[in-house]
Amino acid sequence: MNCFSLTLQGDVGILEFNTPNSSANILSRDALFELDQQLDQIAELTNIKTLLIASGKDSIFIAGADIKEIESLVDSKEASKMADVGKQIFDKLERLPQLTVAVINGACVGGGYELALACDHRVAGFADCIKIGLPEVKLGILPGFGGCIRLPKLVGIAKALSIILPGKLLDSRRALKMGLVDRLFYDPILVEQAKTFASEVLAKREVVRRPKRTPLQKLLEGNPLGRKLLFRQARKNVLKSTSGHYPAPLVAIDTIEKMVGKSHQEASQIESAALGELAVSGISKNLVQVFYLDEAYKKRTWTDVTRTPNKVKKVGVVGAGVMGGGIAQLLSKHGVVCRVKDLNQQALALALKTAKDVYAYQVKSRRMKQGQVDAKMSLISPTTTYCGFENVDVVVEAVVERMEVKKQVFQELDQVVAPDACLFTNTSSLRVTEMADSTGRPDKVCGFHFFNPVHRMPLLEIVKTEKTSDQTIATAVSFARQLGKMPIVVKDKEGFIVNRILLPYMNEAAYLLEEGIAPQRLDNIAKSFGMPMGPLELADEVGIDVGYHVARILENAYGPRMKVAATLERIHEAGFFGKKSGQGFYIHKGNQKSVNKKILNHRVHELSVENDEQITKRLIYIMINEASRCLEEGVADSAATIDVGMIYGTGFPPFRGGLLKYADKIGAKNIVADLRDFQNKFDELRFEPSPLLLTLADSSASFYERPKST
Amino acid sequence: MSDRIAIIDGIRTPFAKAGTDLAAMKAQKLASIVIRELLDRTAIDPELVDEVIVGCVANPMDAANVGRVAALMAGLPQRSRGYTVSRNCAAGFESVTSGYEKLFCGAAEVVIAGGTESMSNIPLIYNKHMTGLLTDLMRSKSAIAKLKTLASFRPHFLKPVIGVVCGLTDPVCGLSMGQTAENIAMRYGITRDEQDEFALSSHKKAVAARDKLAEEIVAVPVGPDYKSVCEEDNGPRPEQTLKALGKLKPYFDRQSGTVTVGNACPITDGASAMLMMKESKADALGLTPLGFIKSYAYEGLDPAVMGLGPVHAISTALNKAAMELDQMSFVEINEAFAAQVIGCVKLIQCDDFAKKHLGRDQAIGQLEPARLNVNGGAIALGHPVGVTGNRLILTALRELKRRGDDHAIVSLCVGGGQGGAVILERAKL
Repeated sequence: MNCFSLTLQGDVGILEFNTPNSSANILSRDALFELDQQLDQIAELTNIKTLLIASGKDSIFIAGADIKEIESLVDSKEASKMADVGKQIFDKLERLPQLTVAVINGACVGGGYELALACDHRVAGFADCIKIGLPEVKLGILPGFGGCIRLPKLVGIAKALSIILPGKLLDSRRALKMGLVDRLFYDPILVEQAKTFASEVLAKREVVRRPKRTPLQKLLEGNPLGRKLLFRQARKNVLKSTSGHYPAPLVAIDTIEKMVGKSHQEASQIESAALGELAVSGISKNLVQVFYLDEAYKKRTWTDVTRTPNKVKKVGVVGAGVMGGGIAQLLSKHGVVCRVKDLNQQALALALKTAKDVYAYQVKSRRMKQGQVDAKMSLISPTTTYCGFENVDVVVEAVVERMEVKKQVFQELDQVVAPDACLFTNTSSLRVTEMADSTGRPDKVCGFHFFNPVHRMPLLEIVKTEKTSDQTIATAVSFARQLGKMPIVVKDKEGFIVNRILLPYMNEAAYLLEEGIAPQRLDNIAKSFGMPMGPLELADEVGIDVGYHVARILENAYGPRMKVAATLERIHEAGFFGKKSGQGFYIHKGNQKSVNKKILNHRVHELSVENDEQITKRLIYIMINEASRCLEEGVADSAATIDVGMIYGTGFPPFRGGLLKYADKIGAKNIVADLRDFQNKFDELRFEPSPLLLTLADSSASFYERPKST
Repeated sequence: MSDRIAIIDGIRTPFAKAGTDLAAMKAQKLASIVIRELLDRTAIDPELVDEVIVGCVANPMDAANVGRVAALMAGLPQRSRGYTVSRNCAAGFESVTSGYEKLFCGAAEVVIAGGTESMSNIPLIYNKHMTGLLTDLMRSKSAIAKLKTLASFRPHFLKPVIGVVCGLTDPVCGLSMGQTAENIAMRYGITRDEQDEFALSSHKKAVAARDKLAEEIVAVPVGPDYKSVCEEDNGPRPEQTLKALGKLKPYFDRQSGTVTVGNACPITDGASAMLMMKESKADALGLTPLGFIKSYAYEGLDPAVMGLGPVHAISTALNKAAMELDQMSFVEINEAFAAQVIGCVKLIQCDDFAKKHLGRDQAIGQLEPARLNVNGGAIALGHPVGVTGNRLILTALRELKRRGDDHAIVSLCVGGGQGGAVILERAKL
């Protein structure tokens, strides 16, 4: 492989990284080895004064280290050694007699930016594709090629932590402001300008001044006491945002703290040791797994590849409720004209307000200007009739969750829209087939299930009925991506995947409450497992009326194993609808919430003796069991699809690798054993292990690698 | 037979008196709403729209070339073009006649011609003393110089220049629009009672026409809070009486004047838009035009009696169309002021005036009250200056359709001393 090529122009050498037969430049073992050899040669070229490191790819500088190599690491010593090797090569780069400049023309992340850090200077273009940063912690590791050492030296400890801990990527303007790069040049003449820049620096006509440390920075970073405070605060912030489930950022803080005042040699050892530990941890493996899922599902085609999806320029939205308003906002944000229909003007005004409120935040956080918002909002046009639906490409129906109403709307739509228009329903739990059959175009009907709040939740469940054509699915998938969402395609059965799996969990929480578990304890147990919200908090957030309605639909569809907890019913009857009505399981006042004492009266028992572990198992295993049914019924085509659905649709903790990845780790046998135990103790039907789970337990197979016949 | 210029359909917002229901809506937003709604109602492919022409007298400061801004806001393709026209009170005519010219000479195939005005949002500005002070302050270098400059401040510096008042004053003759109406009343002896009676009938007709007018109106949810929806014109008063009108003091000439806020049009917010193309294009696209433009004319006259402009313009437009006034199913003379409309009617029927000023042998024709402003006019509905011309055409075409009649003429007076008139046609050829 020839990844690197050196061209000499006068006293300037340009080392171009251009991996053959690949769209990206990755610092694999082989590429690093080649770089090492190149550097040895370059060190000998005394007539060369300047070395530019550039990329031969259009929109990628270097996309980081090879994740496959990281994933394969099982021995922490081996992992540390790999980091050492990389560091030694970058140290060699740093020691080169030439003036070295990294010429960043695209993605410059992880190991790629660590290479740039080892250069004397970094310059970049302005293009949107330029993303600079150290996102290692997102994979459960930390920068191991010297990033933890060099970045704090370059920009100060506080700024370095603010880059490394969240693992966020910056565009080139922000990178310049933070001091991550020294100069920005126009993209088409980037290399030329970098050359000029280098010669000016050599001639001392140009001096690079890095952003000055503010007095506060000096106060905090310049003495042991200040640093102690700084690191303590950083730890506190990390714990607050991760609830301690993610060790990588904490280790990164420890590592950088330990390096203070140490030699480069010692610091290198500290960094490698830390990386070694993290890289082999289960959490890192899980995060890498989720990263792969994300990469694969972002591109997954779901239909025959050659199919060209229909263009979607104008969309009709029927139903101006919270979902309708949210969908309209999302459409307009992405420049899609939408016509929103509801029965009366007041409902429509409310939908516009929903959209406006989402945009108001964009203005407040200075992401958009008011004029831009006004323009986007103008793409939403309200109507009380179907006028304007004649030329829509797609309709998204978002009316109330009642089959008769939905069928009526579909019948009407079938009459007014063009013959080639697709009809999508945002139903969360009703059968799409029934709606499709009320039209003369069932092949053009599918489910298109957004999650609430629409602008924040990344998942989109696309529901394919027996009759939905591949063309319709291709259009739906590409449209979902156009809107920045992660689509998964599932089959048509009540609740599809996410609600079908999540509702039993929320229902189980209601049973546990009934048995006497305190609400906060219950929510805390779920959160300490890693769920972003406790089940009761979640119920309050989505609305108990909504949750109850869906739970009822599921009970009707799936029978006694989904029997709605009596508590839930009573609370619903009492009119406690959650956050929107001010009280649900909790009483909400502004951002404050306290347990709603009134609901405690609805409990059957006063006290429970169950331990936390058993409660966690009841909550999680009931989901695993239902997910298993989704798989065996073919509602989801693979365990990966379910895991993507649960991570993007419910915030199921990525560090667990996904619901079924987690199940595989526990083992079907153990899960079945516990379910059996719960059957005896609590409810025969609710905890009845699914046939697939039993098969897996018998054959010691896993959800991810199950025999084809099941 | 030549290819006629067709108006396919049109739509407008409700007209709301300035400072009321639509006060929070910017002119560009109002225009984008009607353009968007027009695209939806006609179901035309936005890619086909070549040009957007919007009449606007007080172009908002934060939307240079409001026509283009509104077009983009409404989601028209970037390659489409847009500009803004002003012929003062006839800006809403001018957008249509400009569109006519563009279509006629082939510079465009599909045009949206509209108008927008948010008279609520016409700003107050610093007077020249204050502006001077601020400029001097910027130029003052030292702190002492700055203090010195500040010391030159006088309270009257804070008296603002009111944009609306400026806009409604003719700089050349120095008269406000109301004063030019007083001139006409004075010259032709039009009494206060005549004017008030005319105003009352405008309200009565507009109230009676509510359902008809609703056809041309799109409801506007009022941002930014969307607490209300503006669904109809808020000017017409069902409870209006002569007694109430009679109580109002003359506004422009306190002692001997006759023009009051009751017999003049209110300043108003609103927007409208119409889809235009050649008849052949409409046929090709399978669109049924609402009607056609038969002829149009603008004429200039003494700014001090600008309210008589319609007489001149109507005469010329009829000549161009080779038609007579009695062939018109009805006649619209925009009601800037009751005095001015009454004056126009007198002169239209006056042989002497026709001979002296219009180059005719005899009067333009007889104009019976029953044929004049049949659905009420600006005294009741309001007069968003950039929009009214558009509304007159839109309302008239729909009225012709209801009547099953062939022709109507619409006209208006223009501040600065002009008149405009358009003859509309529904006849099949």
